[in-house]
Amino acid sequence: MRLAKSLKHALNILLHSKLRSWLTIIGIVLGVAAVVSIVSIGQGLQQNVQNRLGGLGADILTISPGGGRAAAGFRGSFGGGGGASGSGTTTTSTTSKNLTIKDIQILKLINGVKYIQGIVSGRGETYYLSEKATISVDGVDPLVWKDMTTSEIAEGRMLGPSDYGVVVVGNRVGKNTFKQPLALNRILTIEGKAFKIVGIIKEAGGGDDNKIIMQIAAARDTLDDKGGDNFDSIIIKTINPNYVDTVMAEADSKLMISRHLTSKRKDFRINSAKATQERLADITNTLTLFLGAIAAVSLLVGAVGIANTMFTSVLEKTKEIGIMKAIGAKNRDIMLIFLFNAGFVGLVGGLIGIGLGSIVSALLPNIGLRLMGNGGAISTVIKPSLLIYSMILSIAIGMIAGVIPAYRASKLRPVDALRYE
Amino acid sequence: MIKYFMKKTVKLKDRSNSSIIRLDKVWKIYNMGEVEVAALKGISINIKRGDFVAITGPSGSGKSTMMNLVGCLDIPTKGAIYLDGHDISQLSESKLAGIRGKKIGFIFQQFNLLPTLTALENVMLPLEFQDMPTEDARKIGVKVLEMVGLADRLGHFPSQLSGGQMQRVAIARALAINPEVLLADEPTGNLDSKTGLDVLDMMKTLWKKENKTIILITHDMNIASHANTQIKLKDGLVV
Repeated sequence: MRLAKSLKHALNILLHSKLRSWLTIIGIVLGVAAVVSIVSIGQGLQQNVQNRLGGLGADILTISPGGGRAAAGFRGSFGGGGGASGSGTTTTSTTSKNLTIKDIQILKLINGVKYIQGIVSGRGETYYLSEKATISVDGVDPLVWKDMTTSEIAEGRMLGPSDYGVVVVGNRVGKNTFKQPLALNRILTIEGKAFKIVGIIKEAGGGDDNKIIMQIAAARDTLDDKGGDNFDSIIIKTINPNYVDTVMAEADSKLMISRHLTSKRKDFRINSAKATQERLADITNTLTLFLGAIAAVSLLVGAVGIANTMFTSVLEKTKEIGIMKAIGAKNRDIMLIFLFNAGFVGLVGGLIGIGLGSIVSALLPNIGLRLMGNGGAISTVIKPSLLIYSMILSIAIGMIAGVIPAYRASKLRPVDALRYE
Repeated sequence: MIKYFMKKTVKLKDRSNSSIIRLDKVWKIYNMGEVEVAALKGISINIKRGDFVAITGPSGSGKSTMMNLVGCLDIPTKGAIYLDGHDISQLSESKLAGIRGKKIGFIFQQFNLLPTLTALENVMLPLEFQDMPTEDARKIGVKVLEMVGLADRLGHFPSQLSGGQMQRVAIARALAINPEVLLADEPTGNLDSKTGLDVLDMMKTLWKKENKTIILITHDMNIASHANTQIKLKDGLVV
């Protein structure tokens, strides 16, 4: 029998199938819908993270003290809860040697470095209209900072070179930290010193949202333990993103030499937004895979359902199998008809499941479910590849589940099958 | 239709009176747990090409076993069966299926039509198993259904047909492959006597006009009397 004919007869069996087959299909529908919607959440998360990190600039390198401390890698880039509670800034590790102006001078000479600056960062007790909050503060070189940062000003202006007593505040600091939103030209009292707000940064989803930014000299005078020449981090902007890797490698070796370090005693680490992005992509990928695998369990249950229904169906159609064999059907013909029948169950289940999963996935962002403390509602992304893979998966599951029942059907002896009532 | 069968008819005339099916000391022993039951005990018969043979006998005489062996649905425990001169007693199930699909047309007591297929689709099915292109199969299907007088029932499902009509569809299905042998197992058993006679008439016509070899298996001597040659079975032996 030709393949097309086997397919036709398999479809015919499905079309004439009973409620039982449709219940089986529902099993697959739910499995596929779960996979599609959960993976779409994972992919939405991934895109979300990448959008946020993309704002950091792919051409930026951050050097921070501390030997291989993982947390430093996320410095100011990701995480941080609402308000002032959790910024990503890590305070200077007391155990490791700080970065100095000498390091900056060495790094400045590396080919590919466009801008470089040392940053002082810490947390300051901040009062606004007699309300208190502890907020991350970055002290930057205003001249370099305005060229390096990817943050944009929403209101007011950037810091100028001689702006000693003024600050620019991150969007979330401006809007959410205090009951009364901050406004331009208002005064903030940070660690007992008064600062005028001259600018508010546009919300970018990055670390700057939760920060107050001031001139480095002002930060040294204001924050505890920030006097002297030490920096909490050094930020390099390369000429373009292609230089990131080479600059990173060279910076690493130069700092090792100048600081007289062996790799075991390394007391700094270099991070690029790119590397962070890749690392986070890894994490979200794993998360997606993990969630998808959980959802896939329900698909497995659906597959068992298909196998079960196919066994019953073969039993029920024993007589018909006998008839078909009597009029010349070969074992292979019977095998294919039942295999395709199981494949169709998977196909139909997959199609409906994809539809249902897509609907669920489209509705999820609207029901206010929140994932990760960054305040954003769940966003979901359905890639075409997800739909194609789900489709292939459900057909494959159907056919795999149908292999043994179909094989059994094909091996029925025509004499016995014909006698079956 | 006539033209469709002409070729074979001419060929058959050349070889008339040659043997189409020959059983040589055929035994069929069923293993029923501890007991072995011999359904056929060394039977030898010879069915001539173009004959109308009735195989009769009471229940338990080995009729059904005989029909399974003659119809290539089963193989004997001992002995040889020759179809068209070839020994088929040792063939694999797939080979037997191929032979059935090309040479033997079955007509069952229960009609055995597939309930989910229309009359035409049922008739086309054996041709599809022979890899015949759909269009050709459809043409033949329509022709044989016309021949059994069901030209206006092509799209009907078995459940929408009467018993006599269903049996005529079954005859059409058996004829579709233009078989050497028509094997009918109690073809009138589920029909009222008038319809049963119609079906018998149709088989006789096929025998006379189309020169088909027809093997009729029945317990009813009245039905068997329509045949040309009688083979009577009792307790697994020819009497």
